[in-house]
Amino acid sequence: MTVISHITCPVCGDFCDDIEVTVEDNVITDVKNACAVGAARFLNYATHRRTKPLIRKDGELVEASLDEAIRKSAEILADATYPLLFGWSSTSCEATRVGLELAEEVGGVIDNTSTICHGPSILGIQDIGISSCTLGQLRHRADLIFYWGSNPWDAHPRHIERYTMFTEGRFQRSTWRKYVSRLGGTVTEKRLQRTANLLLDHHPPTPIETGQGLPYTMFQKKRKMVVADVRKTRTAEAADYFLQVEPNRDYELLQAFRMLIRDGELDVEEVAGVPVELLEEVADVMIGCELGVFFFGLGLTMSEGRHRNIDAALSLVRDLNQYTKFLIMPMRGHFNVTGANVVFTWQTGYPFAVDLSQGFPRYNPGETSTIDILRRRESDAALVIGSDPLAHFPKKTAQNLIKNPLIAIDPELTPTTLMADVVIPPAYVGIEAEGTAYRMDHVPLPLKKIVDPPETCLSDEEILRRILNEVRRIRRKLN
Amino acid sequence: MNGERIDLYICDGKVVEKVDERKAKVIDASGMMVMPGGVDIHSHIAGAEVNAGRLLRPEDHVKDVEAKTAVTRSGVGYSVPSTFTTGYRYSRMGYTTVMNPSMPPLEARHTHEELNDTPMIDKAAFPLIGDWWVVLEYLQDDRIEECAAHVAWIMRATKGYAIKIVNPGGLEAWGFGRNVAGIDDSVPHFNITPRDIIRGLCKVNKLLNLPHTIHVHTNNLGRPGNYATAIETMKCVEDLAEEDNPVIHITHCQFCAFKGSDWQTLQSGAEEIAEYVNQHNHVTLDMGQVVFTDTTTMTADGPFQYGLYGLTGNKWVNHDVETETSGGIVPFRYRRKSHVNATQWSIGLELALLIEDPWRIYLTTDHPNGAPFTTYPKVISWLMSTVARKKMLKRISRRARRKSLLPSIDREYNFDEIATVTRAGQSKALGLKQKGHLGLGADADIAIYNLNPKTVDPSIEYKAVTRAFCKPAYTLKGGEIVARDGEIVKPIQGGTFWVDIKLSKPWEPSEDLKLKFREYWTVEYENYPISEDYLKASLPIRVEARI
Amino acid sequence: MIILTPKRSFTVPVGGECISPDTFAAKSTSEMANLPVWEGNKKRALGHLFRIELKTAPSESLTIRIRGDAGRIRRIGAKMSSGRIVIEGNAGMHLGEEMNGGAITVVGNAGSWAGSRMKKGTIEIKGDAGHYIGAAYRGSNKGMNGGAITIYGNAGNEVGCFMRKGLIKIHGDVGQFTGIHMKNGTIYIGGDSEVRAGAQMLGGKIVVLGRIPSILPTFTIDDIKSRVKIDGEKVEGPFYRFLGDLAENGNGKLFISQKQNTHLTPCERFL
Repeated sequence: MTVISHITCPVCGDFCDDIEVTVEDNVITDVKNACAVGAARFLNYATHRRTKPLIRKDGELVEASLDEAIRKSAEILADATYPLLFGWSSTSCEATRVGLELAEEVGGVIDNTSTICHGPSILGIQDIGISSCTLGQLRHRADLIFYWGSNPWDAHPRHIERYTMFTEGRFQRSTWRKYVSRLGGTVTEKRLQRTANLLLDHHPPTPIETGQGLPYTMFQKKRKMVVADVRKTRTAEAADYFLQVEPNRDYELLQAFRMLIRDGELDVEEVAGVPVELLEEVADVMIGCELGVFFFGLGLTMSEGRHRNIDAALSLVRDLNQYTKFLIMPMRGHFNVTGANVVFTWQTGYPFAVDLSQGFPRYNPGETSTIDILRRRESDAALVIGSDPLAHFPKKTAQNLIKNPLIAIDPELTPTTLMADVVIPPAYVGIEAEGTAYRMDHVPLPLKKIVDPPETCLSDEEILRRILNEVRRIRRKLN
Repeated sequence: MNGERIDLYICDGKVVEKVDERKAKVIDASGMMVMPGGVDIHSHIAGAEVNAGRLLRPEDHVKDVEAKTAVTRSGVGYSVPSTFTTGYRYSRMGYTTVMNPSMPPLEARHTHEELNDTPMIDKAAFPLIGDWWVVLEYLQDDRIEECAAHVAWIMRATKGYAIKIVNPGGLEAWGFGRNVAGIDDSVPHFNITPRDIIRGLCKVNKLLNLPHTIHVHTNNLGRPGNYATAIETMKCVEDLAEEDNPVIHITHCQFCAFKGSDWQTLQSGAEEIAEYVNQHNHVTLDMGQVVFTDTTTMTADGPFQYGLYGLTGNKWVNHDVETETSGGIVPFRYRRKSHVNATQWSIGLELALLIEDPWRIYLTTDHPNGAPFTTYPKVISWLMSTVARKKMLKRISRRARRKSLLPSIDREYNFDEIATVTRAGQSKALGLKQKGHLGLGADADIAIYNLNPKTVDPSIEYKAVTRAFCKPAYTLKGGEIVARDGEIVKPIQGGTFWVDIKLSKPWEPSEDLKLKFREYWTVEYENYPISEDYLKASLPIRVEARI
Repeated sequence: MIILTPKRSFTVPVGGECISPDTFAAKSTSEMANLPVWEGNKKRALGHLFRIELKTAPSESLTIRIRGDAGRIRRIGAKMSSGRIVIEGNAGMHLGEEMNGGAITVVGNAGSWAGSRMKKGTIEIKGDAGHYIGAAYRGSNKGMNGGAITIYGNAGNEVGCFMRKGLIKIHGDVGQFTGIHMKNGTIYIGGDSEVRAGAQMLGGKIVVLGRIPSILPTFTIDDIKSRVKIDGEKVEGPFYRFLGDLAENGNGKLFISQKQNTHLTPCERFL
């Protein structure tokens, strides 16, 4: 039995690096410090995995040797006129580096999953810029935390505890105690309300907060949290202010904030379902803080307006810097989606949706992005790594993806691997293979190898390297 | 060098006394000019901030692309080129060693990943240390030796080469959106001033015997009147100099040689700085020359970049790094007709021409802050030719022209001096003993320019000089021909220098530090350092410290 | 006149930047047939994809006529400075990108980014067009800087994104964010507009003849105008005139038909 410490957790964008695992006979038996999602990953990753490569023959996926699968993959890519290489957010930077070389060699389009998550954030940044930081800056200094369209309580479970409200910094204290006492109060209040409702038996239970999102919690002097979302999430319950935004009206609300912080006056009583007095109060809190941070998630990037929502959010934060220090950060999903953007950018200049078909990088999301290419049915082959587009893409694009040869490098049993023509199960990076990944705030950390992979499973990097070599061999033979 | 004609023998990547000519490959460079490979002491080519600049500027990339060839990778970028393209372009210009001067220690792994993908050149990175909390805490208690031991750990952990100080104290203040006003302003929340930081780290540098001096980006950078701050900064370490050895490098000096009380009254402070430098031996500088073009400014100086956003309204990136540093990016176009930009152009050249000793001032554009490094040949032509300078002077803002000192300066650099400011001086300042010369034992990093120094008059034929420096006939790296006539013929990896400091007694970070680490950073102490095998081609430089 | 007829249909994108009067000028048909064209990652000759016929007609400027569907062909007429291109079917993305003169007519539909970054000349699209008409490249704030685009059908989102000068006339409906970040120039919408017209605009003029569901809260009503002038022509209103985008300290003008937008009547109380 060995205990290994300081392991990074290959699950979400928070990429915690303080995990401790216990390994017995090459099996992980215990996990400490991880959240429920992380622990489940370490303990159960191998439950439904594949270990043998598969190739589709006469419509059926049959087991094949690794060499065969690699050769078949290389042939598909070498033959293609406009291949698509998609995924990259759940693998190491080292693998992505080889992937880019492969895309360049086969003249394809390479795109990572930010195309369907924070791609709009990137487009916004390219128009406006971004005032950002690493997460520790917030631990030490932030006294106002704003979450918009993101629910870290469920999606990034240790975010609040490690980096924002419940963490002790040099200049800011944790608000954990306050939260606990308040939680007690809220529970009691809820219980009393319920009893009262039962006894009186008059009306249906009235919600504690008004539908307009007025704050119901006690006023806090120290760190404050504001949440804007379309529904009251658990994160919102812990907040000092909750702004319930009408779905798809985020842009209007953000622009209204921008006007308010310029001391402008709004000609309306409410914006996106939120009364203007509340907006004014929150705007005052934003201007009055010492250091504020604005986290946003897919609730903002994928609601109507997309990159223009982000454009407005980035502009708001930029404008706030006239009065105080304000920072903004996207809540990235996969543990290395940031890394995929970073590697793409240093090798090609562009963070996603890179078209290498003409021998040099071109970039224009909408033209060179996966969803659009598939919707127009332009690609004639695809390689998918560490992603499950068939489960997540719009129906028509998913259909077009499987009309052409499809290679999947993924150990999991997913709709994509079920429909692929070649399946190569790799070792799990961060558990069975090493590498580098980037936390959501661009801090690079090592992915570690804790246990040995099954003999038939190579790392993503190694698989890609072999496909690349095979493609080059085919090319040489043709010339 | 010195215009003499000699035979040069190379074996196993080094310059040697003699080889068997029958078995050797011979390059006929008669009628050409042979120089050591170019050395760049300050060029932002890799790391978090450069990459953020790349991400920010698709419109910069789209106008300048490089397709893949049989031997090279593709890339893009005019002012912030992608990594491969950066390596190729340097090599095609005859440069073989480049220093990446600003590496946020927490993101050092990122810098090294990119350097691994920057081929053709040897490189190194300077960690930003001037605003580290731990360093500030040691220095405020005057615990220099402990601080030195800690810095030694930083160098090893980040695989760094030299101590970089950017706007000391100002970056810490920027954490809450503030700045410091001068070298004696106190740093908020710490009992320390920028002067204490510079002096403290200068002492640390000497204790550790590092090959380069402290590399300083001064306070108040980019503000009218800051030439006084620059002189005070140099003065504040005057007493720490031993013999004639420099103890401080003031980088991209053009940006801190502004006289005047505001932008309207801006004029050059180059004369005052040059006068000081000519009288004191303890300082080296690089130009940070401005060239009129569209570029991307990026520094670790967060407050300066915010100011620049305020001036231009262009898109702005800020990136604070916890407990360590910050960074900012703003795209910028230097315009001939803007009197501020034109004055900046003039200041850079005035510095280079008024400072008498070419071994103490080096040619840089602070790539990409003043201009992309691909403009070096143009800067060379301005240094070598009054005609070239006059021609540009005619085209700049009248106000700037009237104030410029350039018309009164006749000095023209000769090829020897150019070799000094583009390689020999820089490698000497960096303490790279095997670079910047072609003596026995030197690395066979060589640039051969298609230009006969005996027949060309650079003062008049400056265009031919520019052309030759753009496209050397040969670039040799480690004795191999890697580029010919502006084409890469052999891609090579290029190594990464870092200082391997040996302390007299082994120093392990105390438990106290490890505990502090948890408090200060959001990563584990164990995950912070980069192991040597992370560098694709590691070139450790062994240094014996005095402690 | 030069007639190009596609020899087959295309699936992967074809880079058609060489299809421009500037490139074709003073070339024989065989020289034209040898012009390089990218089809996906394959470099081909133009003659491989198109039948090229030269019909000398007594015309002063060079005309290129594409007979058939060019919906997959991108960047037709990019950077052209004179002459004329007529596309009898659909046109692909980036039609007339960075155009500097001449005229393009599309009988069918055009893809996104038609007329992006154009400086001079005219583009006429008889059918619908995609998104980002007359827009800037990603990250740049230099959109359309002159010339005129007329679309008889509908257009998508972000028409005139970062527009600096010129005229875009759309007779049908448009999507969201018309004139986003525009600095100057005029956008005319004959049909209906989706929300967020004029978002973050700094200057210029947007006229909506049809219905618009709402006006951004960062615009303020300024006046009711009986008519508005577009490129010298008078369009009869009446129109509400809104100013904005105030979040950007902008000075753009939004003219919204009063008759079609009775739901905006409450705004009048601020006048």
